[in-house]
Amino acid sequence: MGCKVLSIRVECDKLCPEWPCEQPEEFRDVWVLIEASEDSLSEASLQMLTPGRLIANKLKENLVGVLVGYNVSHLAEEIIRYGADKVIVVDNPVLITYNPRVYSDIVVRLARKYKPSVILVAATRRGREFTPNIANALRAGITADCTDFDVDENTRDVLLIRPPFAAILLAYIKTPFRRPQVGTARPNVFPVPPKDESRRGEVIYENIIVEPETKIRLVSKVKVEKKELGVEKAEIVVSGGRGLGGPEGFKLLERLAEVIGGTVGASRKAVDAGWISHERQIGQTGKSIKPILYIAVGISGAAQHMLGVREAQRIIAINIDPEAPIINQADYTVIGDYREIIPVLIDELEKIRNMKMEEAISYLKEYKALVAAQS
Amino acid sequence: MRIIVGIKWVPNTQAVRFDPETGTLIRRGVPSIVNPHDLPAIELALRLRDSAGGEVIAISMAPPPAVKGLELALGMGVDLAILVTDRVYAGADTLATSYVLSHTIRKIEREYGSVDLVIFGQETIDSSTAHIPAQVASWLDWPYIYYVREARILDNKVVRVVRELEEYIEEYELETPAVLGVAMRSLKPRHVSLSNKIRARFEKKLIIWSNNDLKLDTRCVGLKGSPTIVAKTIDMPEVPRRKEVYKPRDARDAARWIISRMLEDEKLRELLQRTLWGVKS
Repeated sequence: MGCKVLSIRVECDKLCPEWPCEQPEEFRDVWVLIEASEDSLSEASLQMLTPGRLIANKLKENLVGVLVGYNVSHLAEEIIRYGADKVIVVDNPVLITYNPRVYSDIVVRLARKYKPSVILVAATRRGREFTPNIANALRAGITADCTDFDVDENTRDVLLIRPPFAAILLAYIKTPFRRPQVGTARPNVFPVPPKDESRRGEVIYENIIVEPETKIRLVSKVKVEKKELGVEKAEIVVSGGRGLGGPEGFKLLERLAEVIGGTVGASRKAVDAGWISHERQIGQTGKSIKPILYIAVGISGAAQHMLGVREAQRIIAINIDPEAPIINQADYTVIGDYREIIPVLIDELEKIRNMKMEEAISYLKEYKALVAAQS
Repeated sequence: MRIIVGIKWVPNTQAVRFDPETGTLIRRGVPSIVNPHDLPAIELALRLRDSAGGEVIAISMAPPPAVKGLELALGMGVDLAILVTDRVYAGADTLATSYVLSHTIRKIEREYGSVDLVIFGQETIDSSTAHIPAQVASWLDWPYIYYVREARILDNKVVRVVRELEEYIEEYELETPAVLGVAMRSLKPRHVSLSNKIRARFEKKLIIWSNNDLKLDTRCVGLKGSPTIVAKTIDMPEVPRRKEVYKPRDARDAARWIISRMLEDEKLRELLQRTLWGVKS
């Protein structure tokens, strides 16, 4: 039956004179900025094609990948296989080293030419650095760290959904008078879309003249060697909070992680206390992760922390406080002192590792009865 | 040299609690603090001043109670603090906020002389957007860089910084004036000194500017100057969880209960088959 679209007319004299006066209806297509490094597309950027597709379908507009870099042209078709309808490529030797001003400037020039209605960007470190600069140059609204997107079908406004305050509220943000609508999301909030090898689309090569930037120069760049799988990729994360009481608690968590096949994470309080490196911090000011199993040890369950593990498939908590908020946010909580429980847990895991799984289930059958009795 | 450091006066999100009766957020009575991630930015500004000479000016756009935050900065040793406050600035999103801050910086340049560096904390604990440094740099058309852990001034009007990305440590040189976002927890902030605080009060080191001073077009500030609108807010939907709680007899009982839960749970059983027993899927 088709809803009538209420297109907003922007009254130019009411607008800040520093903003170009443009009507929302002049803008169309959903852009995703795709970062590429070392001959491959950034996974975090590809993940943004997932909400990009959702928005593009609802708006009935094209999903466009925007690839800006040096020696990246051969990667353009790959973006189409992940679901883009078109790709705009700027391939220029000046871009051999990344520079936030040069990168932003190119995207701004492209956006002024093509007028996309939406620009989505992965909130990688670089994405968080250049996206506000792009949005500002376009005098566009920007919403960071979205956890979801939707479209108001009456007005065609994109709703950019994010936790604005202490991670216990969700705000639906829109920019009805301004386009493009710019939004970022943390890595791993959305999945990489399925790849379709047979998918074809248009690739547009833009020859933009890029002036070398002199006000900011890269002097050196050193790759940081990561010894193990980061918390972002681990299937099991064993995480510690203030309840550990000190840095030595993490030694115990490392042993458990090693036995069970996971890696160690931490809450902000443990990081602030200096017990463990901030690379491992989970939560609003740390990382968002989606392990199959999250084991929270001595973590009270503050909203800011739990925001980072919403996508964990299962949460096991070990906490000495029977009133800790975590017990309402975990699948399985055991009340007790981790210093006593974890060494025995490691011992029992090593014991059952030497059994067949059926034997292990039978070894623990009294607990099955116990759960049946409780429920 | 003249360094500006930006400060945000934020509700202490750690002190926000749920009302268990209504399941809603208790906002009233939540104390405000200087955004903790701004403290390393203040520290960096002070260290650069102490080694290169010059002055540090702290600025904040906020309602009047934020003078407390600027007093803290003065107590740490900044030379001057400016609160930019006006009813017309209320309801600003990051675009409108960065507009006011960039004009504050321009006015400082007119009144006190040219500015070499503007330093911000990387993000705030209340909204965590990390927008402001890049937006201020955009309004001023100055170079900028994020995640700075170290900075030193080279004599030829250049600042050299070390910054950290996910997989790289990079060194950049920026021509001044430039804007820096300082990495969270990168520097340990110095303590507030009471004598600094008293001297600042005696020498009237805290000044207040309103829109009578900045004279900005009211269409560019506050709600009107903000493209983003909060259409609605809802409580964060609860993630469905099993919420099984067990009070064990002893540690062995606790460990066995945990493992039995994992083995009874199809998802975790499959996981353990791979990670504990090493069965290839």
